[in-house]
Amino acid sequence: MPFDLFEVDKEIPERKKHIYIKDSKDPKEHIPACNTTTVPGCMTERGCAFAGAKGVITGAIKDALHVVHSPVGCTAYAYGTKRYPTTPDMPNGDKFPIDNFNLKYITGTDIRESDVVFGGMDKLKKCILEANKEFPEANAIYTYATCTTGLIGDDIDAVSREVAEEIGKDVIAINAPGFAGPSQSKGHQVANDVLFESLVGTKEPPRTTEYDVNLIGEYNIDGDLWVLREYFDEMGINILSTFSGDCCHDEIGWMHRAKLSLVRCQRSSNYIAKLLKERYDIPYIKVDFFGIRYPTENLKALGEYFGKEEEAEKVIESRMKWIRPELDKLKEKLQGKKVWVFSGGPKNWHLPEPLEEELGMDVVAVSTMFEHEDGYEKIKERVGENTVIIDDPNSLEAEEIIEKYKPDIVLSGVKEKYLAHKMGVPCILIHSYENGPYIGFEGFLNLAKDMYAAIYNPVWKLMEFEQEIEEEISAENHARRRGPS
Amino acid sequence: MNEDKLLPNEDYSKCQELTNCDSGSHTNCKGSCGEISIPKSKKHFAVINPSKMCQPMGAVQVLLGIEGAMPLIHGSQGCSTYLRFQMCRHFREPVNISSTSMSESTVVYGGEENLLKALDTIWREYKPKLIGVTSSCLTETIGDDMGLIIRKFRSKHPDEELPPIIPISTPSYSGSHVDGYDKAVKSLLENMAVQNQTNSKINIITGNISPADIREIKEILEIMKCSSIILTDNSESLDAPHTDSVSFLPPAGTKVNEIIDSANSKATISLCKHANSGAKFLKKRFDVKSISGPLPVGLKNTDKFISAICKIQNCDLPEKLEKDRGRLIDTIIDAHPYNYQRKVAIYGDPDVVSGLAGFTAELGMIPTVVCTGAESNRFMDDMKEVAKESPTKPSVMEGCDLYDLQNYIKDNPVDLLIGNSYGARIANEENIPLFRVGFPIYDRMGAQRIPIVGYSAGISLVDTLANMILEKYYDASGWEIE
Repeated sequence: MPFDLFEVDKEIPERKKHIYIKDSKDPKEHIPACNTTTVPGCMTERGCAFAGAKGVITGAIKDALHVVHSPVGCTAYAYGTKRYPTTPDMPNGDKFPIDNFNLKYITGTDIRESDVVFGGMDKLKKCILEANKEFPEANAIYTYATCTTGLIGDDIDAVSREVAEEIGKDVIAINAPGFAGPSQSKGHQVANDVLFESLVGTKEPPRTTEYDVNLIGEYNIDGDLWVLREYFDEMGINILSTFSGDCCHDEIGWMHRAKLSLVRCQRSSNYIAKLLKERYDIPYIKVDFFGIRYPTENLKALGEYFGKEEEAEKVIESRMKWIRPELDKLKEKLQGKKVWVFSGGPKNWHLPEPLEEELGMDVVAVSTMFEHEDGYEKIKERVGENTVIIDDPNSLEAEEIIEKYKPDIVLSGVKEKYLAHKMGVPCILIHSYENGPYIGFEGFLNLAKDMYAAIYNPVWKLMEFEQEIEEEISAENHARRRGPS
Repeated sequence: MNEDKLLPNEDYSKCQELTNCDSGSHTNCKGSCGEISIPKSKKHFAVINPSKMCQPMGAVQVLLGIEGAMPLIHGSQGCSTYLRFQMCRHFREPVNISSTSMSESTVVYGGEENLLKALDTIWREYKPKLIGVTSSCLTETIGDDMGLIIRKFRSKHPDEELPPIIPISTPSYSGSHVDGYDKAVKSLLENMAVQNQTNSKINIITGNISPADIREIKEILEIMKCSSIILTDNSESLDAPHTDSVSFLPPAGTKVNEIIDSANSKATISLCKHANSGAKFLKKRFDVKSISGPLPVGLKNTDKFISAICKIQNCDLPEKLEKDRGRLIDTIIDAHPYNYQRKVAIYGDPDVVSGLAGFTAELGMIPTVVCTGAESNRFMDDMKEVAKESPTKPSVMEGCDLYDLQNYIKDNPVDLLIGNSYGARIANEENIPLFRVGFPIYDRMGAQRIPIVGYSAGISLVDTLANMILEKYYDASGWEIE
């Protein structure tokens, strides 16, 4: 039986089809059921569509101001959550005047009961105008529907169009209220579609080269993008637009001018790559830059595509020459350690092979919050036999995974981190990272170092109270301790 | 000590201060017994970097202080996930909050099916000792009648011994997390408290304070030999020791029986004035004496709290507390050269802000500007009390956000900032030190272990503030940098 009902789930039999144990003899379509609504009360780790849109995609844009059309909660909780730093550098050489603008401010309409009754569109309009007055430097404004404003039918598209005309700036309406879709994944899709439809093709880049790429689905978590940018710079490949880490609003508008799209996060941003292919015939390739072998292969493939094979080799060599010995040292310490990877989606197939190949670790369990069929197929390909693959695990299942599969380390988000710690298992964050970046060759070394530090934390040996037996102090010892008189 | 007469601004501190009131009449003294200035926000519609959260956040914090309780948010998944995210990174503890996972179709047809299913799942799967169901903006807008749905659930399980299932109406589009906290306590008491035999205990409604604060309060009560019911006690669940076992639901805290028994107590003390609705209910319904606030931060407020208990218990100030108080006095005297006339800005929850403003004034500091996102007349009144002791007129920003606060500070510089992590950016940009207190604190360790209530915590608070000033404004050998 490839599907497993956990002990803790005996009262929720619906969960069985979401938990699959890999057996390579099974047909390809044997994967966990996914992208379906969660059983109410099941203690899911999933978030909402608004979080997927603002928290993942648009929040990374460096020069946009966000206006959340919501009661105060959604606005407050969308602030200071994700670590995607930005530089003030603009593509035309200018500097954006506010450093890390995307991390520093969040604006909302703070709607009240009367707005719910009479509608909040007027308030939204005034709010956008006011926010624009406070931050005239913002190059665009993004507005968001949330549960309540979506439900009462406030037409944020109409308001946004009206205000855009009035202030002469793009005002982008994102209609991804919290209740849309089974998870935050729906929000990714809405943001992709809206940004493509309303922006791509509306702007022209300050300069173009023969080596222009879109780097799609790279959000610069803890500086990931900057690692990749260095590689590309050294190879002479120009990132014309990123979607959307450390990018400016205008970059999205000229994505149609790239020669090639590279899709980094293949869950949250496949959509826009496909649209660019359909509408502008820009080819895309799916890339993977986690670990050692994947970045090596992908940089080489990129080198081949642009006739820059030698440059690619140089990038790889210059890194691996000092990283390999360091990794080998860590491998001695990490060999055989068991891992549970719990990510939003793609890190479930980015990480298992590198952890096993490069560090000799054993990935015993993987789970995602919102992966779809295509992702689970890749996960199934890349994990070892008998690895348990779980879709949208609940908190009790998380406990059971730790008890049953006894991982030596958990790679997950902050909601699971302290559960693991309480169970005596180290855990490091792979959504926003501990001491990132984690991408690329250097990033993989950072990840390995963080795992080493977590597993070999001296405290794990000090868990039990041990009563000390007083050593009898001999006269000689006593004299020596007192030192020369 | 007077009983709470259900007047919005009634509390014992006010009445003790009555003689100082210029107008001579308590009911007429609003606005004239302390001078404050009320700077207006430049904005009218936009909130930029809020200084408040929504009602379910407060309600859930109450529920997490009940042993074996399961909070359930009737709304979309984002609500419970955002709250868990905020709380996990603040308390650095596992936090479980369930959701009815509302989606498009259930939004259209109403949330009854989802709520019934969620209750069923939670009951069968987790066997909690209590389920607290909070609403959200979504389900309030739909108009789901949670009480009715819960009754339906009960009637479907006539033979099972179901736990108390308490509906808590927390529409996120009105009030703030401060109101959510208040409503949750009130709903628990309304639904559960039963009067039978007097118990000689004091109920303490803590309000939204840290686990360390609750521990301080419990210690004071223990020293005073006062048995109590803490409503609610998250000091063991949200600052839990590492043990051999892991508990999915709060492993310790207020017991369900204690909530039921609260109607039999001698009195209820609401530490935070904004969390006193439950106490008012117990007073009205069961004639349990009610005392509300001020939060025992600093000398005078702690004196008031302790003397309230002395009076109820008919005892004198215990020697241990007298010594603690003496040490606090000693500390304040010693720290005065550094604290004296330092200007502070304080933001956060109304009771914590007014409490700290009063304390800083006692230290000879100048509470220059205070800011809370909540809208509250009580807060304004409290600040007028503080103003009487402050050398200059404090600026009081009520219903304001951190952007307003920063704009104010730009024009009126301060030496020290006191509040949660959301103000770290202001501290950084204005180059002033930030003493972190309140919720959330996610950029430093130990958020759950910062106490501010009582004499003993006051001592370390004074030390810390003085040391921050020494660190920032004095040279390495301890001389002030000119």
